[in-house]
Amino acid sequence: MVRSITVEGYEALKKALTEVQGPVFILFSGSPDDSGVSWCPDCVKADPVIERNLDRAPEDSTLIHCLVGDRTFWKDPNNEFRKDPQFLVKCVPTLLKFGSPQKLEEEQCCKDDLIRMLFEEED
Amino acid sequence: MKRLKPNKIDSSSSTDSKKTFSTKTRSHTFKSDTTQTTSSGGVSSSTDSKYLHSKVDACSIDKQSSCSGKTSTLTMLPNIEEIKQEVQKIIDTHSVVVFSKTTCPFSDKAKDLLKSLSVKYETIELDRLDKGSKYQAVLKELTGQSTVPNIFINGRHLGTCDNLLQAHCDNSLRDMLNKMSTSAVFDYDLIVIGGGSGGLAAAKEAAHLGKNVALFDYVEPSPLGSTWGLGGTCVNVGCIPKKLMHRASILGEDLHDAKAFGWELPEKVHHNWEVMKNAIQDHIGSLNWGYRVQLRDKKVNYINAYAVILDKNTIKVSAIKKNKTETKMTAANIIIATGERPRYPDIPGAKEFGITSDDLFSLSYCPGKTLCIGASYVSLECAGFLAGIGLDTTVMVRSILLRGFDQQCSEMIGKYMSKHGVKFLRGCIPTKIEQIEKGQPGRYRVTAVNADGAEVVDEYNTILFAIGRDPCTRGIGLENVGVSLNPNTQRVLVDAGEKTNIANIYAIGDIGDTRPQLTPVAIHAGKLLAKRIFEPSFTTKVDYTNIATTVFTPLEYGCIGYSEEAAIDKFGEENIEVYHSFFMPLEWTVPHREENTCYAKLICNKADHERVIGFHVLGPNAGEITQGYAVALKKGATKEDFDSTIGIHPTCSETFTSMHVTKRSGESAEVTGC
Repeated sequence: MVRSITVEGYEALKKALTEVQGPVFILFSGSPDDSGVSWCPDCVKADPVIERNLDRAPEDSTLIHCLVGDRTFWKDPNNEFRKDPQFLVKCVPTLLKFGSPQKLEEEQCCKDDLIRMLFEEED
Repeated sequence: MKRLKPNKIDSSSSTDSKKTFSTKTRSHTFKSDTTQTTSSGGVSSSTDSKYLHSKVDACSIDKQSSCSGKTSTLTMLPNIEEIKQEVQKIIDTHSVVVFSKTTCPFSDKAKDLLKSLSVKYETIELDRLDKGSKYQAVLKELTGQSTVPNIFINGRHLGTCDNLLQAHCDNSLRDMLNKMSTSAVFDYDLIVIGGGSGGLAAAKEAAHLGKNVALFDYVEPSPLGSTWGLGGTCVNVGCIPKKLMHRASILGEDLHDAKAFGWELPEKVHHNWEVMKNAIQDHIGSLNWGYRVQLRDKKVNYINAYAVILDKNTIKVSAIKKNKTETKMTAANIIIATGERPRYPDIPGAKEFGITSDDLFSLSYCPGKTLCIGASYVSLECAGFLAGIGLDTTVMVRSILLRGFDQQCSEMIGKYMSKHGVKFLRGCIPTKIEQIEKGQPGRYRVTAVNADGAEVVDEYNTILFAIGRDPCTRGIGLENVGVSLNPNTQRVLVDAGEKTNIANIYAIGDIGDTRPQLTPVAIHAGKLLAKRIFEPSFTTKVDYTNIATTVFTPLEYGCIGYSEEAAIDKFGEENIEVYHSFFMPLEWTVPHREENTCYAKLICNKADHERVIGFHVLGPNAGEITQGYAVALKKGATKEDFDSTIGIHPTCSETFTSMHVTKRSGESAEVTGC
């Protein structure tokens, strides 16, 4: 069973990464605003698509759903998610396999085919 | 070019007054044209208004649908998946599906057209269906289109009535419908063997045209065990890593220059091979992944397996990874794009102890003191960046440098490299390699003989063979179908349209006999070929003349068209004029780099208005300089065109706008003052 956890912010993500084992996938998306929905419409669209393909990921893997903060924070070109060489996130949503060059960005995160490829491929 | 010529005659013969007159006439005709349309537009204006009227209809349909869509979204949430599956099933199980409404004039129009073409189609009348609005919402999600008719052909979304009419007009509809018959016979419209630049381009283009495509790519590990991902030589073991390592070496030179510009740097700077290698390999990894995403997104079936042709429509799949069960696949068309791999000399120790460019860029350890064997551009480029990052580097050359390239420029490259730390062993042929010590890197003794027959022996940590490349045309079943090869080169014989002697089998990229072995050539050939195969009205072929290229040696060398030797050969010495000039990049002056090193040369055909038929430049950023001039040469630029072009100051490239010294004159081409 794929473990799925949600963290908010950069520090929480770094901490979570020290605690997980096995393959790690990270989904970066915009945090929910006051209405309880993410300010990033593509993130909202991507969520259910990723969710319904999660069973394609290896049994022992973890999906960390990382909320990157509000729009103003995210748009800052110097925020940690963009700067950290481990992530170098350029846009939200970004779904990546941690420690590999495999990543999907924006509308790619809404495509079943591509998400399955990311979850299924071992190299 | 043919169209350009008469134009030229026109403009040169027409006087200013004539020009004004013709412009006036034109504007006059234009005016009368407008009046005509507005006044005599009985018929056309009525069609216009009809068009407008129906557009309004479309809008109202849109509104209607989005309204009903909104209300339904709330109620349909629980079973949206079910509805989706229903809709998908309808699309999948019928070759042509029209989702329409009985009240919609556009739906009628679409159906009428299909009827007139005697195409069988399935109609789903959304307004007669209880779930109609839900279907429409699902269709919108699926296709982004909320209006009707919403048309699908062979499971693919075509679009609206307008899209159908458009497809009918440009004949693509016929192709889409024809696909029903071909796909019934074969698994694929196209199978591409080889996922390099050419193969990928062809596969993507065919998929873009709505074709069913499979692409095979399998990298046979090098003798040392190096292997890599999707993308072929250029991306993995060629252009990309070489240009990046070249960049690493240029940065080293720039660091040296930086001091003259006021940067205070430590006396000793070190280069870390592993950091460079990892960073470059990371980039390559993301490119490999990017290609996979592109193929998947375009519905190209990428198969990481070795394909062998059994007959002209059948492929046998061997060495399949990941438990896939297919063993044979069929296709209407096959494109071979398997590329080439480095050649090893037949001497003791070559394969055991030597490496090639297939291994160098991913080498886990710094290669140390290196011997590059061969005088190909691969050899010189590798030697150049290895010396540039501070390694003891030697090039062993049998005879001339850069065979096929302009020999004056090639020798200038050699001279520059000699001055910048690369040793050359000219007239030498290696005879054996022995291991002295294992390790990473190990130590090896290389024995060679020189022109006098004397033995030359030295020790190196790494021996890199770059003596040429062999086409991967063996072991892929070409003999099963009788594809003709050039017996000397083993490359595939192709016509101007990349077709082999077998009608539905094509070859592109480096394996094509006489083809320039350059990535952009393969990409261009692949794209055009896929279009020609699947769009009968498309006939454009690759123009293989005047293709620009650049050798990324420490002193970069860009060229287009004829070398001086080839031009003399073809036109005769008396019929060509060679203009040349050394130049000094401004950025070289402050750090006092050597003068009379960078060089520009234009070879012109005297019999043809001094048309420029050869362009050569040696200097920083030669690739960036050369690309633009390739357009000029393609358009048939003459020396006069170059002279009348105003330069950009201060640049290296401006040299080409002010070249006046001919070789014939014997005057000095050296830089004189500013």
